[in-house]
Amino acid sequence: MIEQLQRPFSDEESLAVLDGNVRGWFVENFKELTPPQRYAFKLISERKNILITAPTGSGKTMSGFLSIISRLFDLSLKGELENRVYCIYISPLRALNNDIYKNLTVPIEQIYQRIVKAKGVDIIKDNIRKVTIAVRTGDTSQKERRAQLLRPPHILVTTPESLAILLNSEKFAMNFKGLEYVIIDELHELANNKRGVHLALSLERLGDLSGSSFTRIGLGATLYPLEEAAKFLVGYDNGKPRDCMIIDASWSKPLDIRVISPVSDLIYAAEGSTEDATYEEINRIIKESKSTLIFTNTRSGTERVVYNLKKRFKYGEDIAAHHGSLSKESRLEVEELLKKGSLKCAVSSTSLELGIDIGAIENVIQLGSPKSVTRAIQRFGRAGHSFKATAKGETIVLNRDDLVECSVMLDAALKRHLDSFSVPQNALDVLAQHIVGMSLTRKWDVDEAFAVLRQAYPYHELEMEDFIYLLNYLAGAYVGLESRRVYAKIWYDEKEHAFGKRGRFTKVIYMLNQGTIPDEVAVNVFTAQNKWIGSIEEEFMTKLKPGDVFTLGGHLYRFEHSRGMKAFVTEAKDSAPTIPPWFSEQLPLSYELAIEIGKFREEFGKIVGDSIKRKQVRPIRRKEALPDKVGEFLGRMPMDENAKLAMFGYFAEQLLFAKVVPTHKCILIESTENTDTGKRHLIFHSLFGRRINDALSRAFAMALGEMLDIDVGIMVNDNGFVLSAEEGIDSGTIDDLISDITRANIGRMLKKNIRKTELMRRRFRHVAARSFMILKNYKGYKITVGRQQVNSQLILSAAEKIDPNFPVIREVYREIFNDVMDLPRAEQILKDLKSGEMTYRFIETPSPSPFAHGMLTFGHADVAMMKERRKHLQELHKLVMKRIKGWDAAQ
Amino acid sequence: MQLNDDVELLDGLPVIFIKSIDSLVIADPHLGYEGVMAKKGVLIPKVNLKHICTILDRAIKATKAKTLIVDGDIKNEFSTVDEEEFNELYDFINFAKERQVSLVLIKGNHDNFVERYRDAFKLQIYGQEADIGGYLFFHGEELPIGMNDGTKMLVMGHEHPAISIFNEVGKREKLRCFLYGKFKGKDILVLPAINYFASGTDINAVPEDELLAPIFERLPVGEMRAIAIGYGSTIDFGTISELKRAIG
Repeated sequence: MIEQLQRPFSDEESLAVLDGNVRGWFVENFKELTPPQRYAFKLISERKNILITAPTGSGKTMSGFLSIISRLFDLSLKGELENRVYCIYISPLRALNNDIYKNLTVPIEQIYQRIVKAKGVDIIKDNIRKVTIAVRTGDTSQKERRAQLLRPPHILVTTPESLAILLNSEKFAMNFKGLEYVIIDELHELANNKRGVHLALSLERLGDLSGSSFTRIGLGATLYPLEEAAKFLVGYDNGKPRDCMIIDASWSKPLDIRVISPVSDLIYAAEGSTEDATYEEINRIIKESKSTLIFTNTRSGTERVVYNLKKRFKYGEDIAAHHGSLSKESRLEVEELLKKGSLKCAVSSTSLELGIDIGAIENVIQLGSPKSVTRAIQRFGRAGHSFKATAKGETIVLNRDDLVECSVMLDAALKRHLDSFSVPQNALDVLAQHIVGMSLTRKWDVDEAFAVLRQAYPYHELEMEDFIYLLNYLAGAYVGLESRRVYAKIWYDEKEHAFGKRGRFTKVIYMLNQGTIPDEVAVNVFTAQNKWIGSIEEEFMTKLKPGDVFTLGGHLYRFEHSRGMKAFVTEAKDSAPTIPPWFSEQLPLSYELAIEIGKFREEFGKIVGDSIKRKQVRPIRRKEALPDKVGEFLGRMPMDENAKLAMFGYFAEQLLFAKVVPTHKCILIESTENTDTGKRHLIFHSLFGRRINDALSRAFAMALGEMLDIDVGIMVNDNGFVLSAEEGIDSGTIDDLISDITRANIGRMLKKNIRKTELMRRRFRHVAARSFMILKNYKGYKITVGRQQVNSQLILSAAEKIDPNFPVIREVYREIFNDVMDLPRAEQILKDLKSGEMTYRFIETPSPSPFAHGMLTFGHADVAMMKERRKHLQELHKLVMKRIKGWDAAQ
Repeated sequence: MQLNDDVELLDGLPVIFIKSIDSLVIADPHLGYEGVMAKKGVLIPKVNLKHICTILDRAIKATKAKTLIVDGDIKNEFSTVDEEEFNELYDFINFAKERQVSLVLIKGNHDNFVERYRDAFKLQIYGQEADIGGYLFFHGEELPIGMNDGTKMLVMGHEHPAISIFNEVGKREKLRCFLYGKFKGKDILVLPAINYFASGTDINAVPEDELLAPIFERLPVGEMRAIAIGYGSTIDFGTISELKRAIG
């Protein structure tokens, strides 16, 4: 059973379970137990599986480890401590592993010294040994590995990938017999992706190998739903989740957060003044706090902020940047400086979100939206290091959609409404990898292996049929008998109902190619004349559709096609960019938050609508007071005065101009003309987040294209999507379109749509590599990503010819539809449209309505293009104002 | 599609039929491709041979031809005859035998050591080029030498020609094509690859100096007509320079 605990144990009860020496050490070093420790010490000593969520600085690590260290010293004192691994600690980060190692070595040494003092020479006589700990990652030297084999550490600190390798290292794996504890740290970073899925299977294999049911301890920051996380941690046994106790201490830290708008008018503030005000605001906060951590969402943003702060306010070495593109050394240096307290301010894209120890931070600033409530809380949680401190933070918004999004997000954070994550289910590529890994250790009965695999939560509903299909695939059933020697990774005998290893090189291939993180490199961008222009990230290329316009080095280019690691473009001087260069770095808006925003739009739209019936908007612009009801409503939200004024202005304009505000229950479909280019747009105000809109927009574009026999261009973002259509479209067309699409099988439509896209090609490579169909490393040679890509395209076309349901192809579609996009929810929305649960409204506007502006200028949202975006926005806005009566646009 | 009285481009197939010599002609099968790749760690499922046989079955049925001319590169590996290659070569020869079609091979740059099978399988093998009934077949990695007044047409492979078409929102589609033009006053026809994986070189996108065959340095590529195949039909798309202008 999975149950959430509400009442902690008393400090006395908790300390009573510890060995005397360990207890003595703890009392000497700490004044009191932290909230998670009040649960964990006792529960772990009783060998209960537990999941602990708590913010940084809450003694999470110690809460997981102390009872284990206590037990190990207890064994040592009894002379029963053997040379084997008792506890495995797994975290997704090597840096974190090194932290943990350091943070445990000292306590273990101190505890041992207490024992030495108490026992004197008996230490030698009774052979009382020190508890040992060692790190095992890709960085561990050969020498250390050998040492670990001879003298296995009692506590092994490792990563998911290194654990998988150890499972197949026969000699070392002997040391796992009788394993007692597994700790998984930063669970929230693993549970929602394939690395975590891979780990879940490793744990079940570990259980099989060690012959013991070890205690599982999960540590993580805020995440929701906790039951899902717990199931991921403990897995299944006989079709039911294993027992787990959940300790939710993530709210032990009070939040003091709010949204700040640097100016009251985010559209018309004079050139540069929004920027000036933003930096003034940041500077004020930095000056007021001992230390500040700034999150910018993108790497280029990080560099820009550091540069500006230094230039504007004469900061020196006391401000530093920290992001994924910096060298490991410079990142480590920043972390060290933070810990020492010698940095006034650190600026990070996302890299400092994770649990690396960075000491006490007083204040967290977020520039722009972090796109999810959970992430916002995780970031704010970096502030106030001790568990009793308040987490203080501000979100500074940069445009009006940001303003709405962040206000709702922070409000949800304070109300503890979290967005949910989900664990990818039945990923066939990761499964294929583990089947090969299992076959290398011994011969398996099919049912027995199936039972082990189904214990992992991501596979608890795995179908036998799929499993057999995969066995056939790995056994090379898709090529003739004489070729299996090369193709097959395992043998599978249907009659004997068993499988096992095959091939001399399979083990080497497995060791060199296992893992789930795809190789990625930059893609070089060329013109058709083969002139090199620059490079983009591969992940960004997967987001490009032919015809998309993007900026590179300050110029505009239209994407044409790609070959291997080359992208070909043409210059697109007079076009509007359709996709910002950081698109792939930016996380998609979470569905739950999107719905919250839709609800807010509905509720606040009503209040604004009522108040502007009675009063004109004019006073707002002059910074007079908000209408009473509006002020009252916004007064309950964590926003500053500027933010409230801007929010009211935004909604009032939308209502005066379009008479309607789209909500979570009503999609607004707007047919309008972009006055700049004279192009017609069909704008879908479907605020459901990018993952859902990605699926919806492709389906709508296909259906519309078929109806009118035209090619339809697409722009997608979190707030909706824009279809370009040459012809004017009337409400009859829209009714037909909706009725067409709600009757269609959009899964099938999308399959056809993405078949020839970059997304499909690149994702296929990732999946094919995970399934060992293309190798990243073969007989000791590294195969370049470009080569891998070309090869994978050949494999894709061949596999499709053999069977469109080839497991590798099926997995690519699963990954795209469920992990990249959110097809199930997109389908639900269409179902709701059909049943009337969700409605739509069609309007025609002479120029785009205010809520559409963000979507249309989205592609401009880049450093180099900021000015143009502002210009464009202002023009759109003027058109709106002209239409709204009683407004003097000239002012 | 009838190219002239004697030469037919079979609809939707990368195959031609020459009536006067009762022969089908294909180029660049590259048999054994997947097997060779598999040994380099790239496990491409095997589909090429089956794909080629399906095409040829249709062509033989439609024309009742008695001879199949392979205009170079029947196999893939340069240096040796790989075991995987041998198996496919063997199956391919048997396939022809079963359909009572005699095989004629023009050697391409990938076809070293293919002579080993000449006697065992009673193959007709030509080295550089072959004049069969006034048609000069050569693979294309070298210039043709045996042209004379009686030469009706030059037929080559090697280049794997294709064209790229972009639709209005910029989506690209690649189609294999024949190239048809003039060389020193004689008609020349370049065949697309029949190999499943060789989707081809975009003749309308790749700069002329990057084309493989030396003959393209000596004739106006822009004036050649691209006759594309796909979706079950064969359609004349006009000259390469027209295509370049239209597509940009």
